[in-house]
Amino acid sequence: MTVIASLQQRARLRWANWLDRRIPRASSVTLDQRRIFIFPSRTGFFFGACLLVMLVAAINYQNNMSFALTFLLANLFVVAVIHSYANLSALTITALGADDAFAHQRTAFRLRLSAGGRRGHYALQVGWPTPLEAKRRRRLFSGLTSSPSMVAVQEVDLDPGAQQELRLHLPVGDRGWYRPGRLRIESVYPLGLLRCWTWVDLDLRALVYPEPIAAQEPGGNDGDSQDGLQLTGSGDDEFAGIRDYREGDNPRRVYWKGLARGQGLQSKEYAAAMADTRWLDWQQFAGLGQERRLSALCYWVLDYHRRELEFGLRLPGTELAPASGDRQRDRALRALALYGDADHRQESSRQESRAQESRAQQQRGQKPGAAKGVRA
Amino acid sequence: MKQAEQLPRPALLWIILAQGLLLLPHLERLPIWVGAVYVSAFIWRVQAFRGRVELPGRWLKVALSGAAAGGIVLSFGSLLGMEPMVAFLLTAFALKLTEMRSRKDAYIVVFLGYFVCLTAFLFSQGLLMVLYALLLIWVLTTALVSIHRPAARLRDLRPLRLSGAMLLQAFPLMLVLFFLFPRIGPLWSVPLKSHTAKTGMSDTLSPGDISQLSQSAAVAFRVQFTGDIPPAQELYWRGLVMSALDGNTWRALRYFEVPPAERREPRVTTQGPSTEYSVIMEPTQQNWLYALRYANSPTSGVMELSDYRLYSPVIIENEYLYRARSWPDTPLEERIGDWRRETELRLPPETNPRTRDLARQLLARAGSPEAFVDEVLAYFRTEAFFYTLQPPLLGDADTMDRFLFETRRGFCEHYAYAFAVMARSVGIPARIVGGYLGGEINPVNRTVIVHQFDAHAWNEIWLDGQGWVRVDPTAAVAPDRILYGLERAVAAEGSFLVDSPLSPLRFRGVGWINTLRLRYDALTFEWQSWVTSFDGQAQVDFLRGVLGEISVSRSLAVLLGSGVLTMGLVSLLLFRDRRRIPRPAFEQELHRYQQVLWRRGLEPIAGETPAQLTERAVERWPGQEEQISSLYRALASLVYGGRHSYVDQQRQLREMRRRVRSLTFLH
Repeated sequence: MTVIASLQQRARLRWANWLDRRIPRASSVTLDQRRIFIFPSRTGFFFGACLLVMLVAAINYQNNMSFALTFLLANLFVVAVIHSYANLSALTITALGADDAFAHQRTAFRLRLSAGGRRGHYALQVGWPTPLEAKRRRRLFSGLTSSPSMVAVQEVDLDPGAQQELRLHLPVGDRGWYRPGRLRIESVYPLGLLRCWTWVDLDLRALVYPEPIAAQEPGGNDGDSQDGLQLTGSGDDEFAGIRDYREGDNPRRVYWKGLARGQGLQSKEYAAAMADTRWLDWQQFAGLGQERRLSALCYWVLDYHRRELEFGLRLPGTELAPASGDRQRDRALRALALYGDADHRQESSRQESRAQESRAQQQRGQKPGAAKGVRA
Repeated sequence: MKQAEQLPRPALLWIILAQGLLLLPHLERLPIWVGAVYVSAFIWRVQAFRGRVELPGRWLKVALSGAAAGGIVLSFGSLLGMEPMVAFLLTAFALKLTEMRSRKDAYIVVFLGYFVCLTAFLFSQGLLMVLYALLLIWVLTTALVSIHRPAARLRDLRPLRLSGAMLLQAFPLMLVLFFLFPRIGPLWSVPLKSHTAKTGMSDTLSPGDISQLSQSAAVAFRVQFTGDIPPAQELYWRGLVMSALDGNTWRALRYFEVPPAERREPRVTTQGPSTEYSVIMEPTQQNWLYALRYANSPTSGVMELSDYRLYSPVIIENEYLYRARSWPDTPLEERIGDWRRETELRLPPETNPRTRDLARQLLARAGSPEAFVDEVLAYFRTEAFFYTLQPPLLGDADTMDRFLFETRRGFCEHYAYAFAVMARSVGIPARIVGGYLGGEINPVNRTVIVHQFDAHAWNEIWLDGQGWVRVDPTAAVAPDRILYGLERAVAAEGSFLVDSPLSPLRFRGVGWINTLRLRYDALTFEWQSWVTSFDGQAQVDFLRGVLGEISVSRSLAVLLGSGVLTMGLVSLLLFRDRRRIPRPAFEQELHRYQQVLWRRGLEPIAGETPAQLTERAVERWPGQEEQISSLYRALASLVYGGRHSYVDQQRQLREMRRRVRSLTFLH
């Protein structure tokens, strides 16, 4: 049993390695004969059976025109091989990027399909295989006779010379960089008798933040906050002055009147915000596990950002100076997402990254759309 | 349901169109209600499409299929046999329309459509049918393509173009396979076309049978002579020899009725001149073949029976081509055996007493058998006998007495019947021969077209020293029939082809219709002799002619070779223009331009651009300013300018080469 399992494991690895050599990761791929696979579809096999029945009828009735019809259809099948191949070949797929997301949520992966000069590409099914299929995908012959079930499928028609941008929404896994694995593009055009497909390894990754989970507000911050209040002796909304706009400032605080007068983009500053500097510190959540800590920090980063507070972030080995606004939030979330072995993950060998992908995909399957995280 | 699995609207329309077209060729052999099922299924589908009604549920569908099967059993008597099978297939096909929702259903309908198309070939392989079937296959394949074009609009004809192109590309290899695929015999016996589909002469003959057959304008067979065509009155196409009279019906002897000693192929010493010809029979669902007397055939699979006729052990279900050679002057069976003599003399006892009396009187007056024949023919000629396509019924008993002494109106089988009874009653061995007489000569390709209305019956009597001699009593009554054919013989009666008012044969007087008909018939002959009657024997001859020797390796080589060739051509067609001349080809040309100028004496200067070099060249050869600078501009625009099509680039590249070369001769 274990022998078989290990043999299977080895076969999968070899298949994956072969695929990696054949279709290496790239940010833009143009399909050619190295990258296109073709095999009769289930309909094709059914058609073959029909042809056999027709041939038997032709033989039994000794009917020459029936022979001719059978052979014509059989050759239609043969010619369809070239047409099916031509439908995928010279198609260019370019990775455009991905939106960031919180763990176990969905995010959009953006890609562009562009047709070569002379031929169009029709009835393309673009998507990623479902997690179950992703596990199976490393088997040598999966996807050969039947199309694997896919998520985020879009059907695309491209006329000659045309291009189209796609946003495919996928559930992501744990925090860190999420790679969606190989993209499958398949088509049964023109006759449905043959399935033509490719597994493209696009250089696409999405940054996945920790899942925000509510936790008690760090104790020290309460004190700081009280101090701040006492110091200024005024409420959050006390107007303190105007300064030049900095990227990431809250649009609600832009001094629109000044802009209208032609004074350029300026932001209003409030006393409370100025004084109310808080620190989010790794140490404040002692007693929680690493991921739980990151989740708690994430929760408070979002909370402070919503309340437009100025905050700093201290993680072991990283420190973000206090600031406020969208930019500060994004930097904090990025630091949280990539905490720990994040850099290592980024640089990791292909083997490990694949293992990680498959883990991610399995998780994607276990919690399909379960994420109901906090929206920033 | 996923969007991808839904059936696009154009595909639905193509399928509906294909279904309508598929029904047409089968319409004649279907009960009328199958057409009604089609129309209602169509209306149902359209209404469902407009949201007026629901598509039928599962139980309704089961009930409908059951009702269809029941209806077919009621209409045809059973579900077995070809017509009921086709009717069932077509009904299921129509019902499928009402449950077609997804791509999967559409695939089934299209594939079923291909199969229905095949069943149409089992009934006819004529040229028109084949052309029609090509149209059908095109429409079906277009439907197949449309299934995968969900976004396409109704008026988008690209699927039509693509499917047409693919079929054309599949065509050459189809031809190769058609000629190479071994024609083996049937793997198992299959349901035949039902009894009504048997056409032509049958092996039994009662009064009225042939006059009925003569209402048909269908073609029985076509003959092509290698030499001259014999005169019409010599074209007695023997098919059946009827030696036994059962009650009121003549019939051919069954195989087991002939003693084994007589079953051998007859041994004949041929005499006199001979004619050679090939015959293509239309399918008859029977075994007998037609030939002039005395004939044997070099075609393998054709047997010769002891009564000197050709016979195919396999039922003729498709157009069948055979060759034959005839020696009309050869005496047949100069010495007759006892069994044969006895068989050819047997009459049911105590029937037709008045006819027997008449025969005895005529023989007494004649004296010899030869003179007896003349007496009988003279009797038919002088008494008031009439030749008619609409003979009166004769009842069951003593029919010949009734015919000879009461009605006196009959068709060829009546006269042949009467003659045979009279001859046998006086001890002359006699029998009826069934077949066709004459035929229409097609001036386009010199074939003889024999129609069903040329069906004829005559007699053979055995005379000592001469063997079997042909006697045609009809000739005595209606000599026009023998010389000019049936139409002229019954012209006064106006009964020729009364039941087929639209037959083109009735418009032989209209010049262009007749020319068209004859041309089409000539085409049909070619089609049949090359394509539809292509069988194992023809294949062996053909392949031996083409390949030299028939072997698996040669056949495979031809198949693979033509396959690779086809695929290569198709690929070339699909991928041609993608190959563009890469820019370096033009850059190289620009470089050569510079080299030529340097060689002509302009010292190379490091870092000089081609444009600067051109300026120096113009200063050096002021007379050639236009030639040099226009060449430079053309080269530069090709190197740095937009892209052109492959063909354009080829042409431009050639032109540039020529012009750069011409710089060598600047002066």
